[in-house]
Amino acid sequence: MEERTLKEILQNHAPKLPLPTKKSEPYRYFDIEKLLGRQCKWTKAQKTAPKQGKSLEITDGVLTRIPQNVEVTFSEERELFSEHFDPLYFVSHALSQEVITLEFKTDTVLNIEHKFEEKGALRAYRLVFKVAPNVSVKIIERFVECGSQESVVLQGFDLFVGRDARVEIIKEQTLGNDAYVPIHSNFIKVEKQASVKLFTFDFGDGSGLELVDAHIGEEAQVVAKHLLFAKSSAKRGTVSRLIHDAKGARSEQVAKNILQDGARGIFDALIEITHNGAGAKAHQNSSAVLLNDGAYMASKPQLVINIDDVEASHGSTIGELDEDQLFYLRSRGIVYEEAKKMLILAFANEIIDDVSDKAVVEAIHLAFERAYYGEGQLECIATCHNCEDMVLGER
Amino acid sequence: MSKMVQIENLYAQIGEKKILKGLNLELEEGKVHVIMGPNGAGKSTLSKAIVGHYDVEITEGTIRYKGEDITNEEPETRALKGVFLSFQNPVEIPGVSNAYFLRTAVNAKRKFEGKEELNAAEFLRKARELANELGMKTELLNRSLNEGFSGGEKKRNETLQMLLLEPDFIILDEIDSGLDIDALKAVSEGINKLNDGKRTFLIITHYSRILDYVKPDYVHVLKDGQIVKTAGAELVEKLEAEGYAALGES
Repeated sequence: MEERTLKEILQNHAPKLPLPTKKSEPYRYFDIEKLLGRQCKWTKAQKTAPKQGKSLEITDGVLTRIPQNVEVTFSEERELFSEHFDPLYFVSHALSQEVITLEFKTDTVLNIEHKFEEKGALRAYRLVFKVAPNVSVKIIERFVECGSQESVVLQGFDLFVGRDARVEIIKEQTLGNDAYVPIHSNFIKVEKQASVKLFTFDFGDGSGLELVDAHIGEEAQVVAKHLLFAKSSAKRGTVSRLIHDAKGARSEQVAKNILQDGARGIFDALIEITHNGAGAKAHQNSSAVLLNDGAYMASKPQLVINIDDVEASHGSTIGELDEDQLFYLRSRGIVYEEAKKMLILAFANEIIDDVSDKAVVEAIHLAFERAYYGEGQLECIATCHNCEDMVLGER
Repeated sequence: MSKMVQIENLYAQIGEKKILKGLNLELEEGKVHVIMGPNGAGKSTLSKAIVGHYDVEITEGTIRYKGEDITNEEPETRALKGVFLSFQNPVEIPGVSNAYFLRTAVNAKRKFEGKEELNAAEFLRKARELANELGMKTELLNRSLNEGFSGGEKKRNETLQMLLLEPDFIILDEIDSGLDIDALKAVSEGINKLNDGKRTFLIITHYSRILDYVKPDYVHVLKDGQIVKTAGAELVEKLEAEGYAALGES
């Protein structure tokens, strides 16, 4: 077992690859040097024969359960995107001994549970999703702390979406302060007329980063929606690049960030329309609510447009809760703290309610409210605002 | 007749602008009071001052409600004690379901009064029944609070809140603005339903339109931050005919 700083381990095992520094653009607002200085243990993952399960389960980078309807292969060979903007994308590939590849040839709904048990460990693993043409796939990924402490996880997926296929990926991750720091570095390639919806729900008081490099094909679409609720001293957010390199490609990116205590939110997102991207539609918006003076939002929406025939917009707002809305609720006898919570939940709901699967919506509502109210204080799920029957618990 | 509200020597400003200048006003229990006055007289500032709006700074004077000084109370405390303002321009709150908001408000008040809270089914039954009486589409209960509501739907929703919360002192700020005749009748019926001789109404209006449906006991004229005249319902007709300028000679 090797225990050194993360930087030493990475330099030792991937000596030819550059590491990010505090000056690296994707990590400009993230404390990468502190992370690289963290002491870690590095061991090769011990592969075991996976059992059958309802969801696909990966524990500390090792596949432990597989559902019956999913085709999984392991391979040391991998299809790397050589121009990925994130240095740690290559590092995570270099450190993972093999990639776990899932091929979707028919319509599929798949739950993936990533569990982390190790203490003070570095874990690197990669998934590849290959979606055949005309197929519809929904992947719900949850990341769960199972006793992990002060670990580092370099992880991500490479997603290849065939022509006319439809993919929805929903990622939910609630991080405790000392559990583990995840760097999720992803690559997405979307073929002609296909579509990808990527939802990321990042909650809690731990730091982590989601990096996405997406290439959108002809008349294809990528919708990326991020909801961040960070507290304590978390540094958390999204760094992305969406490239329109074929005609008629569309992208929509929406980020909502709620920051409490001394948390820092990150939204560093570039949409690039190349000379080949005629007829592109690209819209990007980030909004942040700062709940107290120490909270901070680093918001950097960017558009690079190399051709005239496009429709594009971007915007960013950072502020406090709306005073008129707060007053309106209070004027009806709802106390300040409760009114504030209602508005925060409403802000979050605008993204949560966009998820197509209502059971998943409820689970994310619950995860958000747990993160917001804190474990043990939550007594109800009270925000299913489309629910005709108002089947609510009692607070 | 006992006094529901006593406002004494009230001075209030918004920012640096002094708006209420030593206003005195007494509102009787069980009566309908109307405040009329020209633009900029301070009518909306008075309503905001009574409910504790953050815009308004009270620099002098007191507001008593049921004999208790509420001048510095939090807005939610005033509401829980029975003070209600129907807003001229109700805000839209995307993401907060109207039904969830209404139920939270109703149960907050019930809890404050020591009553058992309504469960979801009880609440919905009551809310739908009242919405139907107001000619309000029940689907509006499931929408986000006031989001995309027409002017009339917003005013009906304000009236629905009033009926659900059953406050003792009701301030209606330009409740008739932007309403067509059907909406005006429905809202007026809602008001008359609560006008049981125990509650006090303060209707703030520019025009006498709503007074065709809700009969006032007293009419007060607010001008330049002070009440300059108080009379019976007959004053409305005089103001309609002669305008506020006529008060100068009276």
